[in-house]
Amino acid sequence: MSTHPMDTVFVESEEHRALRRAVGDLGRRFGPDYYLTAARTGGRTEELWREAGKLGYLGVNIPREYGGGGSGITELTIVLEELGSVGCPLLMLVVSPAICGSVITRFGTEAQRRRWLPGLADGTRLMAFGITEPDAGSNAHRLTTVARRDGDDWVLTGRKVFVSGVDAADAVLIVGRVADTGGESPQAGRGARLRPALFVVPRDAPGFEYRPIPMELTAPERQFQLFLDEVRLPADALVGDAGAGLGPLFAGLNPERIMAAAFSVGMGRYALRRAVEYARTRQVWDTPIGAHQAVAHPLAQCGIELELARLMTRKAAYLYDAGDDAGAGEAANMAKYAAAEAAVRTVDQAVHTLGGNGLSAEYGVGALLVGSRAARVAPVSREMILNYVAQHTLGLPKSY
Amino acid sequence: MVVPACRDGRAHSVREVGLFPMKIVVCVKQVPDTESEKALRPEDLTLDREAVDAVMNEMDEFAVEEALQLAERTGGEVTVLLMGPEQGADTIRKALSMGADRALHVVDDALRGSDAVATSAVLAAALREVGFDLVLLGCEASDARTSLVPAMLAERLGLPQLTFAQKVETDGTEITVERLTDYGHDVVTARLPALVSVVEKINEPRYPTFKGIMAAKKKPVRTLDLSDLELDATEVGAAGAWSAVDDFTVRPPRAAGELVKDEGEGGRQLVAFLAGRKLV
Ligand SMILES: Cc1cc2nc3c(=O)[nH]c(=O)nc-3n(C[C@H](O)[C@H](O)[C@H](O)COP(=O)(O)OP(=O)(O)OC[C@H]3O[C@@H](n4cnc5c(N)ncnc54)[C@H](O)[C@@H]3O)c2cc1C
Ligand SMILES: Cc1cc2nc3c(=O)[nH]c(=O)nc-3n(C[C@H](O)[C@H](O)[C@H](O)COP(=O)(O)OP(=O)(O)OC[C@H]3O[C@@H](n4cnc5c(N)ncnc54)[C@H](O)[C@@H]3O)c2cc1C
Repeated sequence: MSTHPMDTVFVESEEHRALRRAVGDLGRRFGPDYYLTAARTGGRTEELWREAGKLGYLGVNIPREYGGGGSGITELTIVLEELGSVGCPLLMLVVSPAICGSVITRFGTEAQRRRWLPGLADGTRLMAFGITEPDAGSNAHRLTTVARRDGDDWVLTGRKVFVSGVDAADAVLIVGRVADTGGESPQAGRGARLRPALFVVPRDAPGFEYRPIPMELTAPERQFQLFLDEVRLPADALVGDAGAGLGPLFAGLNPERIMAAAFSVGMGRYALRRAVEYARTRQVWDTPIGAHQAVAHPLAQCGIELELARLMTRKAAYLYDAGDDAGAGEAANMAKYAAAEAAVRTVDQAVHTLGGNGLSAEYGVGALLVGSRAARVAPVSREMILNYVAQHTLGLPKSY
Repeated sequence: MVVPACRDGRAHSVREVGLFPMKIVVCVKQVPDTESEKALRPEDLTLDREAVDAVMNEMDEFAVEEALQLAERTGGEVTVLLMGPEQGADTIRKALSMGADRALHVVDDALRGSDAVATSAVLAAALREVGFDLVLLGCEASDARTSLVPAMLAERLGLPQLTFAQKVETDGTEITVERLTDYGHDVVTARLPALVSVVEKINEPRYPTFKGIMAAKKKPVRTLDLSDLELDATEVGAAGAWSAVDDFTVRPPRAAGELVKDEGEGGRQLVAFLAGRKLV
């Protein structure tokens, strides 16, 4: 992290530029073909993950005493954006080091940090994150996964959907709820005061089952349905004590949004570059199509929107790293919104620029269509961000 | 270790004493990114460096990697030496982030337009200034592609030159390399100090680690100009160049390739084609 705010937000430090270059170089060695082949054949991008882990790129935000790089989300966004910009993004960066790493760093016990952070930092261990349920996506107040105390243990029951990367993960950080007071019956539904609480659930825990959800995305990371049937966990599976309230959960959500923004910016930059390369040389009449303003202007617009989204992402990351959670919240929402919208438009425009080739498997640009749309709904949808800005930033009344 | 004050170019090694860690100096050049379109400036027919991204000469990355591996094996120390404008600092930083210990940057406006003869004079002076047991460099730069500097530099320093190395072994006193040739390789041995130029086959350059990137800025970089090296501006740069660019033309479009259709004899035809170009 740089000492002067201007350096951090507007002008990148030498280290940041060097990190961009190094990560980009590594990503280019693997490249989009590697990524697409894995995605299309049910493979994973394990080799890239492992290599990036060894080089310390995956754990830049994890404290040094736990084997990380001792920097922040700012540096982690650089890693994700650069990998995306060369066509091989690592979605699990959003989850494992960013969400889980941040939550455990900030709210874990010393023992939990020692157990998890070094592996999350060097990529030898992976943790997924499960909050979404069939009836609780945008509305997290409806979560019904419940933890009941049994002696020292916790017993967790519930269902999750769309959880990314479970097949590759050692554990899933599950957002459940616990009764506020010991006496109350820990049941979901009206009346019961249930607070969110985060549990580390090993993938091989008895009673834990996961099934892939067939998705239309072309990505090596898959989404899963989880079934938790009386999963018994030791006391120290809980991250942050049961009374910690929303703190631990919120510690993960800002990094998630900021990283989601970086994911979209990276994808957008990749699509834009592919479109520009194509438009520069493709000749339909006497000039390259990139000379036609009908082709050039929308691409220029995409370039502007991506750069603006990137700037907002840097601001959000800066505020988060500086410890300003409240300030980071608004900026992270705006960055995620702007980046997702810019990526949706850029991918759309890139596909169109390539004409028929835009939809061919060979060019791999059409393959981005669903992925760019996913970023509009996950991890928080466009409308929920607009609701947030309408209410919190503008002070408009709430409709729901 | 070479005695720095030795101005006649003859190197005197005191390694026999065995008290010092091996001192390796890697010469690296900053070049325009091979991916980008290059152009010459019409004013002075030198490369338009502002129009392109600058990167470390790819072959030099292999030299840096080899230096780091040798230093790791023998407990030695790696110094990076770069001659070039201010922006060369980026390339120096890259080598430092890969793990080199320190750097020497020769910067001087008078160096603009230096040819291989002048470059080797400057590098030789800088090498005498820092001292070394082993000099490593890439066997050619991707921009000028003359492959002359390694040999000229060795001559100027009176060092044994072991060029086109695809493998290097040293015990700190002697050095043995596999020298890539048309027919395979030769095994060449010399006493240190020596100069080795490497080919791409030698290793796989590492990517800088995050820690390496963060540490690079804190490593010592010494900057020298011509007067520090007691060199005269008229001997170097465009003024002192032995060769001059008179004119240039844009490369003609590539001629159509030869299409081999496999009608049972495809394999044979391919081999004949490659053999005709001495590629197999
Ligand atoms: C590729 C992918 C990966 C994912 N990975 C994970 C993961 O790792 N872990 C995890 O827990 N979840 C994950 N998710 C789930 C994701 O977070 C949810 O899909 C997202 O939060 C939206 O929830 P939902 O799908 O239930 O949509 P819903 O909440 O049902 O929303 C449906 C639509 O209604 C709109 N809407 C809802 N409420 C309002 C309102 N009040 N005002 C206006 N509009 C509204 C929404 O904007 C949306 O367009 C992933 C999803 C995808 C697509
Ligand atoms: C699913 C699918 C099915 C198809 N089926 C058939 C079929 O059955 N038979 C068949 O013959 N073809 C078929 N096609 C081909 C299709 O008709 C062509 O892809 C289409 O005509 C565009 O041509 P192109 O791909 O060469 O794009 P290009 O002509 O290369 O155009 C690339 C981009 O440049 C833009 N552009 C080009 N010139 C200008 C200009 N002067 N001003 C502004 N913008 C310009 C275009 O709008 C486009 O965005 C199919 C294509 C697809 C994707």
